[in-house]
Amino acid sequence: MSQGAGAGAGAAVIVDRVSKSFGQISALREVSLKVEAGEAVAIAGRSGSGKSTLLSLIGGLEQSDTGEVLIDGRAIWKEPRPARARREIVGFVFQRHLLLGTLSARANVEVPLIGAGVHRAERHTRARSLLEEVGLADRADHLPHELSGGERQRVAVARALANRPHLLLADEPTGALDSHTSERVLDLLFGLRDSLGMTMIVVSYDEAVGARADRTVTLIDGRIQSAAAPSSAPGEPRPSPAVSPSSPTTSRSARAG
Amino acid sequence: MLAIITTNLLRSRARTVFTAGGVAVGVATIVALLSFTQGLRDTADEFIHLGGSELGIFQANVSDPTASILPASIVGRIAAQPDVAAATPLLLMIEAVESTPSAVVFGADPGGFFTHNLVIVAGERARSGGREILIGDRLAEQLHLAPGGMLVVKGQTYRVAGVYHSGVLFEDSGAVLALAQAQQLSGRAGEETDVVVQLAPGAHASAAGTAIEHSFPGTQVISAPQQALRAGANGTLISNAILVIVVIALIVGAISVANTMAMSIMERQGELALLSTVGWSPTRVASLIFGEGIAVSMLGAALGLLIGVIGGGLLVHALGVSAYVSPSVTAWGLGRALLVGVAIGVLGGIYPAWRVTRMTPLKALSGT
Repeated sequence: MSQGAGAGAGAAVIVDRVSKSFGQISALREVSLKVEAGEAVAIAGRSGSGKSTLLSLIGGLEQSDTGEVLIDGRAIWKEPRPARARREIVGFVFQRHLLLGTLSARANVEVPLIGAGVHRAERHTRARSLLEEVGLADRADHLPHELSGGERQRVAVARALANRPHLLLADEPTGALDSHTSERVLDLLFGLRDSLGMTMIVVSYDEAVGARADRTVTLIDGRIQSAAAPSSAPGEPRPSPAVSPSSPTTSRSARAG
Repeated sequence: MLAIITTNLLRSRARTVFTAGGVAVGVATIVALLSFTQGLRDTADEFIHLGGSELGIFQANVSDPTASILPASIVGRIAAQPDVAAATPLLLMIEAVESTPSAVVFGADPGGFFTHNLVIVAGERARSGGREILIGDRLAEQLHLAPGGMLVVKGQTYRVAGVYHSGVLFEDSGAVLALAQAQQLSGRAGEETDVVVQLAPGAHASAAGTAIEHSFPGTQVISAPQQALRAGANGTLISNAILVIVVIALIVGAISVANTMAMSIMERQGELALLSTVGWSPTRVASLIFGEGIAVSMLGAALGLLIGVIGGGLLVHALGVSAYVSPSVTAWGLGRALLVGVAIGVLGGIYPAWRVTRMTPLKALSGT
């Protein structure tokens, strides 16, 4: 992976006693979580447990009612320009690819770069490079409806990486894919995490995600119930990120190199 | 950004076309009316230079110049004014030629400069005392008349003595009758509608006009096209009507664009939320919506300019006033219509753009 196409170093995430309600419904209750720079954390839990809400709060898409989310010490919602801070720090991948249907794969990857005011020639170069990284260089000029589900999700991953984020947030990235395609997309995501060193938080029902992550955090009814690291994982061994002992959700064991 | 705006507009082609069409109708109306008004102004300019005159003297505060009544006795006294070289009376008759209601018949003193300045291109000048008439070359062409032919004016038949050309649309589309006969036909013995004046060398039109108005209370001297338009209630009515239509076009057009853009952002909440998620600032997302509004109204304005230019000519023919007015399209007129088009886009884009800035990404994403 060329550094030019991907992210910078990982960002540390601190979620400190965060609560969020939607009307009468408490989605999150006093949730605290610490994710070290470069760590890959899976967030599991049943539907309605608050997984996606937590991800949205971490990514600065929504503001918490109480508590604070800090990414490398920055609270996105308190920044003078939250959109700019989000763009500099975070990349998002959603269950549905959410590609713009009238734009080609390359143009979709360029969309975040337009938001960042990147010059046209530079946008083209970076989009081409990112599509190459996700194995879709030959599909750059295709519209989303001309791509398979897996290919669309790979374009969405390339788009998430366009602004070289320090933190990649993925909400059910394999939820709409078959098992074979899911495997390929997870290979891509975790491969990118390993090569780029960015922090990654993935919300998923998929046990395969938990197996690949450094640890899994389980949410039940808006509260964190457990944080576990898999005893073994497939694939190449990865460097172990340090897990703060002060974290309220420390892993049971750090992955061995 | 421009590519995204273009693809978004092309995505809902029917909506874009209908919205642009609405703007086009408004802009076309403005263009047509402005060219019509400019044509009126040009006609008014010709109107005050009838027969090569420099001033036109009418009765003050009349609804339109043809309703003016001046006594014949005034002509000699005007001619005696120090700034005046020559003065001749005219009696204007409209709707006097049954076959061509738009043709104006000028009752003119056969010895005055108005009649003398007509260049005869066929036939000869009318003989005094005979039932003869001179016709303009445009009218002759329109009615396929030549010297020796017959023209019916207010139920009376006149022999065409000759065909003239003066270079003035008004005159060339009309006919000239001896003043006495015109007075008899219209039942205005001893009266005329106006007196046209040629100034003495070195005389100033505005100063001479002021002096004449001062010397002859109850008269109005017209020396500029704007004065001619103001002198008639119809001119004022048209000017006011244009202003009202511009305002209505702005309001209706802006509502139309705002409605389209509001519907568009409702349908595209997920897409707009995504833009926000990937780091587009609220201002930039709003600019996208604003840009789409302006683009669709500019498209409509361009279409409207084309329709307006063509429609202006058709309007004149439809109203049967081609003898009075030839629509005149000016760059300033087109520019004003284009400004209205842009204003429609700006006004129509404000509300949808503001709404976009109030959307939070999460709410919008969960709504998709």
